[in-house]
Amino acid sequence: MKMELTGSEAIAASRQTLWDGLTDPGVLAKCIPGCKAMTETGPDAYDVEMQLKVAAVGGSFRGKVILRDKQEPDTCRMTLTGGGTLGTGNGSAEFTITEVAPDVSRLDYSCHGEIGGLVAGVGQRVLGSVSRHLARQFFANLQKHYQA
Amino acid sequence: MTVVSRRFVSTDRRVREDRRFVAGSGRFVADIDLPGTLHVALVAAQHPAARIVAIDGAEALAMPGVIAVLDGQELSAATNPMMNGLDTPEVKRFPLAVGQNRYAGEWIAAVVAESRRLAEDAAEKVRVEVEPLGFVIDAEEAVSPHSLPVHPRHGSNVLLDRTFTWGAVEDDFSRSEERLSFRVTWGRSSTVPIETFGVIARWDPWSGILDVWASIQMPKYADQIARALKLPGNAVRVHYDVDVGGSYGVKRGIKQTVLAGYLARKLGRPVRLIEDRLENMRAGDAHGPERIFDVEAAFDRDGRVNSMRMRALDNAGAYAGRAPFQLGKPIGAIVGPYRIKSVEYRAMSVTTNKTVQEAVRGFGQSPTNYAIESMMDRVADHLGMDRLDLRRRNFIRADQFPYLIPSGSTYDSGDYHAVVEKVVAAAGYEALLAERDRLRGEGLCAGVGLAACLEPSGGNSSFEPLLNEKNRTSTWMESSRIIVDALGDVTVNIHTTSSGQGHETLAATVVGEVLEIDPDRIRVVRPDSLASLPGNSPVGSRMAVMLGGAASNAAKDLKRQMLAITANRMKVPVGDLVYDGGDVIGPGGSRLGWSDIVEIAHRRFHELPPGTSPGLTASFIQQVPTGVALPKDGKVQMYPCYSFEFHLVLLSFDPVLAKPEIHRYVIGHDCGTVINPHIVKGMTLGGIAHGIGAALLEEFVYDAEGQLMTQSFLDYLMPSTHEIPPVEIVHHCTPSPLTEFGQKGSGESGYLGAPAAISSAMQDAVAPWRVTLDRLPIRMSRVSDAIAAAQEEGVTSQ
Repeated sequence: MKMELTGSEAIAASRQTLWDGLTDPGVLAKCIPGCKAMTETGPDAYDVEMQLKVAAVGGSFRGKVILRDKQEPDTCRMTLTGGGTLGTGNGSAEFTITEVAPDVSRLDYSCHGEIGGLVAGVGQRVLGSVSRHLARQFFANLQKHYQA
Repeated sequence: MTVVSRRFVSTDRRVREDRRFVAGSGRFVADIDLPGTLHVALVAAQHPAARIVAIDGAEALAMPGVIAVLDGQELSAATNPMMNGLDTPEVKRFPLAVGQNRYAGEWIAAVVAESRRLAEDAAEKVRVEVEPLGFVIDAEEAVSPHSLPVHPRHGSNVLLDRTFTWGAVEDDFSRSEERLSFRVTWGRSSTVPIETFGVIARWDPWSGILDVWASIQMPKYADQIARALKLPGNAVRVHYDVDVGGSYGVKRGIKQTVLAGYLARKLGRPVRLIEDRLENMRAGDAHGPERIFDVEAAFDRDGRVNSMRMRALDNAGAYAGRAPFQLGKPIGAIVGPYRIKSVEYRAMSVTTNKTVQEAVRGFGQSPTNYAIESMMDRVADHLGMDRLDLRRRNFIRADQFPYLIPSGSTYDSGDYHAVVEKVVAAAGYEALLAERDRLRGEGLCAGVGLAACLEPSGGNSSFEPLLNEKNRTSTWMESSRIIVDALGDVTVNIHTTSSGQGHETLAATVVGEVLEIDPDRIRVVRPDSLASLPGNSPVGSRMAVMLGGAASNAAKDLKRQMLAITANRMKVPVGDLVYDGGDVIGPGGSRLGWSDIVEIAHRRFHELPPGTSPGLTASFIQQVPTGVALPKDGKVQMYPCYSFEFHLVLLSFDPVLAKPEIHRYVIGHDCGTVINPHIVKGMTLGGIAHGIGAALLEEFVYDAEGQLMTQSFLDYLMPSTHEIPPVEIVHHCTPSPLTEFGQKGSGESGYLGAPAAISSAMQDAVAPWRVTLDRLPIRMSRVSDAIAAAQEEGVTSQ
């Protein structure tokens, strides 16, 4: 099934700091909910390992993340492909960082994806709210990272 | 009409199986606990179609308690493909996907561990690398020559495309005063038993026997397992004394059993595979028919329907199996209970990237009945006639039986007008219409629905040679053996499993009836398949006719032997003797008792008549009554006996919510002589519940990406006590001339007409809005949206 997620978050960080964080596998691994590991496999390419629970379905997910069209420190696109016991996911995300005040930036993001496998069949009715919840959790973690 | 007095048949006797089920003492496959058993969990495909690049089980195998990871390459190298019903050798099917998978959820690998829990955890660690391929979900798209074939080597998605013309269709159409055409679609639903499929297999290398305990309802199950595993037939021993927790067609389990059997041999330990709900729903290969009907009717203004053209396009899913034959069985009742003179029928079955179909209660008859009954309603609507009057005008009359229909089957007996009149009287048809109008006056949508449907019974398999010319099947026997032991006690052997049909009660009742002894004194046992006579399992609503026939004929043979022994002893002709409640009375009132006859048979060979075997046993292998000839000119006698049911329903719903409430449900039912009234009642009530599910709730829904959206009972909606109304059953009995007691089948009763009747009532309810409902299940949302759209266009219900 197809999914879309767009939004906007204010983060307590300068544009450059936020850019550095969003392109740092260490930071991402800490902030992505359920992320167990994020390993660099080449320039702007990472393997990601996740353990997630969606509705009645829990399981692991392994994927490849590739960063493209980087325009430091403003915009970047990411593609994600992968799968696991939960199902498959393919998608792309685009984010833009705008500094709205000293050390405060706005992050605009939009993601498009296609979900298949078990999670699509069993979790479909909650996928939308779960993905919004995961996104919120990610940004909460990101805020915490910069406040620490 | 002569009144036959019977001691046990048709009497109010308890169903003997019910005691153990009610007490929670059934013995189901999950109750069987063999020491050293290993457990299987499955790795499922994520894409509707994908090439399997690599399967890596290393991480799973490294986990404690994990014994093996099996993939389709290894399994397919060691086994034969599973049986195809049609002549489609390139549509190969193995228990695990080989090289590529063909539907989302298909099993790609099996993980074996010391417990199910460990196996499930390890299944998550099996790495599967795939390359997604193109796929097709929709049957009409699949039929196009430009569509991607699900099985490239087969060349197209078409498994079957046969057109039959029975009678002067062209002439009847051109002579008719009116015609109409329409399309209705039967959505993909099934029977979804609470007990999923389960199997335990154990290989004993010293005897060379594979023992199988399974939740099974499959014709020639042991043969199919042996053939797939490349074993001699006598190396597979299926234990029939396993209770089956519901089936109604779907518990076929060949792929699961081949998989478990292979693993049991390979690993040298018992292997148990019991599907969880997800494995069952998406890959148990147990979905039912999904069928688009394009129908054209030719009729006169007085309401006589003369001819019908029907194209049935069925979405078989990813592999063939026996399921395409479900387009064949309805040929045996293609005109329903009506005197339609000619029919053109095009049967099409196509592969798509959906879960595989299996047999479902009625084997395709219920969808066809829905199409026929939709036609009758639409003809009535077109002519402005009462729907009941239209049916009465077209029914075959009681004096016309036996009645030969255009497609070659002869209906044995029936009195459709009488059944309908009984229901009309019991329900008060006019009052029901008045009540409908009163509900409409309150602002509700209200409708009366009716359906007059046939249940072909006595399951033959003539659709096999009809749809596959290489298949020469002309028998579909069932058997029974009776043994009277040296103490004079009677044991009846039946050679099949049961999934709630009450076969033990059936066999004891008919043997008791013939031998005139209390059925409660008769033991009924199920030997394993190696100790059994040939049979074809309880499919096709056949056991009352076939097992009832086999057991009563074996009992008659016993009686014949007892009479012969007595005649020899008394030195009188057999014709002078009277069998009386187990004793035999000779001329002048002399009597030889049951125990005396048993004593002679078991101990005194010197007193036996010449040519008589000692002991007192009888076996009978029952051929299907009428089932002898192969098809000729596209015609064949399909099933021998035809039960009839007439449904009358009143329902209503709020036009905004559209949640139907069934106010009245009356069914008139004629399955000939009823062997046990409680069993028939249970079948009918359960069948109606099942039919209400198919009509309003149940569907395996796929999204455009080929993912199954209804994999659990959260999304696949089953009818519950909230949706099922009280049902009034009106009985009628037209005995079959072809069976021992006049019995016909009732294993599919209720289900064969309920979807048509509910659809008819829903359509009647929305008719004032000029909305047409043409697809099952009829979802609340669709009805409510259609009414809202009609309102927006300015249509009012007045």
